[in-house]
Amino acid sequence: MSLQTIDSRDRAFGWLLSLPALLALFVVILFPVLWAGWTSLHDYTLIAPNFDTFTGSANYQKAVASGEFRHTLWLTAFFVLAVVALEFLLGFLVALMLNEVERFKPIYYGILLCPLLMNPVIVGLIWRMFLHPQLGIVNYLLVSVGLPAVNWLGDTKVALWTIVLVDIWHQVSFMIVLLLAGLSALPREPYEAARVDGASALQCFWHITLPLMRPVIIVTLLIRLIFAVKTYDLIYIMTRGGPGIATDLVSYFIYRTAFVSLDIGLASAMSIVLLAVILGLTAYLYRYMRSLA
Amino acid sequence: MGRIELDAITKSYASGVDAVRDVSLDIRDGEFMILLGPSGCGKSTTLRMIAGLESITSGEIRIDGHRVNEVDPADRNIAIVFQNYALYPHMTVRANLGFGLKLRHVPADEIERRIGAIAATLGIAALLDRKPAQLSGGQRQRVALGRALVREPRAFLLDEPLSNLDAKLRAAMRTELVKLHRKLGTTIVHVTHDQVEAMTMGERICIMKDGRIVQVGRPLEVYRNPADTFVASFLASPPMNLIAGRLDNLKWRPRGVGRRRDASGDAGAAAFAALAGREVTLGFRPEDFHRAPTGDTSTAISAHVVAVETLGPEVILVAELGGRGGPEFMARMPGDFEARPDQVLDLHFDARDLHVFDAASGRALPRPARV
Repeated sequence: MSLQTIDSRDRAFGWLLSLPALLALFVVILFPVLWAGWTSLHDYTLIAPNFDTFTGSANYQKAVASGEFRHTLWLTAFFVLAVVALEFLLGFLVALMLNEVERFKPIYYGILLCPLLMNPVIVGLIWRMFLHPQLGIVNYLLVSVGLPAVNWLGDTKVALWTIVLVDIWHQVSFMIVLLLAGLSALPREPYEAARVDGASALQCFWHITLPLMRPVIIVTLLIRLIFAVKTYDLIYIMTRGGPGIATDLVSYFIYRTAFVSLDIGLASAMSIVLLAVILGLTAYLYRYMRSLA
Repeated sequence: MGRIELDAITKSYASGVDAVRDVSLDIRDGEFMILLGPSGCGKSTTLRMIAGLESITSGEIRIDGHRVNEVDPADRNIAIVFQNYALYPHMTVRANLGFGLKLRHVPADEIERRIGAIAATLGIAALLDRKPAQLSGGQRQRVALGRALVREPRAFLLDEPLSNLDAKLRAAMRTELVKLHRKLGTTIVHVTHDQVEAMTMGERICIMKDGRIVQVGRPLEVYRNPADTFVASFLASPPMNLIAGRLDNLKWRPRGVGRRRDASGDAGAAAFAALAGREVTLGFRPEDFHRAPTGDTSTAISAHVVAVETLGPEVILVAELGGRGGPEFMARMPGDFEARPDQVLDLHFDARDLHVFDAASGRALPRPARV
């Protein structure tokens, strides 16, 4: 048997093995995505279900022209930047400290992982209770030390920051765990060389830790970024986009368009736009990870 | 100047393990000192204490007469070359070489001048803009060396710098390091577990075991007069043959062999007379065997050949002493020596080449002075 036929036989066998998984992926992931793409090109509302009306790019034009959609995109961008930046700074700081800790490390790990293990819906419910203007423990504590009570979720100026804080509480451990793994995998020798070379702790951090951690930092930031763009559950549970549209992140806005306004076509178009943004980020992440190998 | 004095230094870890125990050593300015020992003997820990990377539990380290126990590594003005080079992986070779100088605020043109000079000396001028990942093991080794050289320190500490190189490159770097030392005249403390490196490079060798110094001396001195059975079996390859036995009157009876053998001719016998009746370990170097008697202190032993290793310039015999079933030993014979396995032949050695060690402590017992 020639090499060519052995090769092609192997390839056929490979396809055979991957087929079930590929089929499952197609049915549960690719098909819905393609269907959403199809829907986005049609006038499809649940009020008048007649989605054979092809409208071309009308939904996209409508989405882009919509001030509300643009507002939610900007709001989401702001939220994502705030959340990722703050979580990174806080997470890196804690990771650096934990990296120096030698005793009780598993205990710290366990405590840190607790929020991460919780369902976002539960997190939202707990914090909604904590932050309740009259009954919440947070305001009770503030008042009992003489500080004014804050309308955490009802004030348009405060609400988004409240969501940011709750998200930090929930997700910062993700950063810590990933960055800590990166830190503990760093070689020890360059630090000793730097100590002999005369570098201070700060110089070590700046000239060695930061450059060596660059790949880990970029991957961590991107993963967190992609997840933050999709934030939906916290908003749904805590504010429903309110007060007004102060916390109307794009995922929640799309949900509202689809299932409150019942304009599935428009919502699909918005989803495709969001998908494109996330795909762009993912492609960059993938290429970066490939370039590391 | 670069005199390094270790005064009874000890390193204990929290677990209660003593990595280094009561080590005292005076390394002279400009000396090439080798710390030799098997892994875990405390030689690297000693080096790291000199560098300041490990704290000292007790004792004192002085550099040029000044106590440095509490001095930061950066302020000891000592450079260290690590076993795995410890280059900064994200920096180019140029940046690696210049990092220490930059931190010391040396002017940029001076840094550039020194890097250029060192790169030329080490033959790495063409590599200056590469990163460590793009270099071969030997090239990385040179860069690590260059990073130490460029600082112009009082002393170089080398922590097994050649152990990651292949055999050929290692031999070449040995020569280069010796040449470099002769050129610079700077103190070098070189840690190794390779006795060939120790013998060929060092002006003095300090042999360590279990955190203690066993013997310090010039290479040939240590080779000729090992302080105990550990040193005897560590230096040279194949190492000294060590065989337990008892000096019985003037006969020597190796353990496990029924027949008594003559230990020596008349002159040799006299030398060992004082040790009669004592349990000892006898040591003889493989290279001290001869095919014919060498004089009136020459002694013959009968050897049952087990294996013959023909190396070209020499033949290594593995044989059993006193006939089949006796203790195994090795003999190093000239390349034209002919022997077959299972052959029984007489080998000769000079009784004055024998080493005698106390059976219990392993310490060397006095030998007769060579005539």
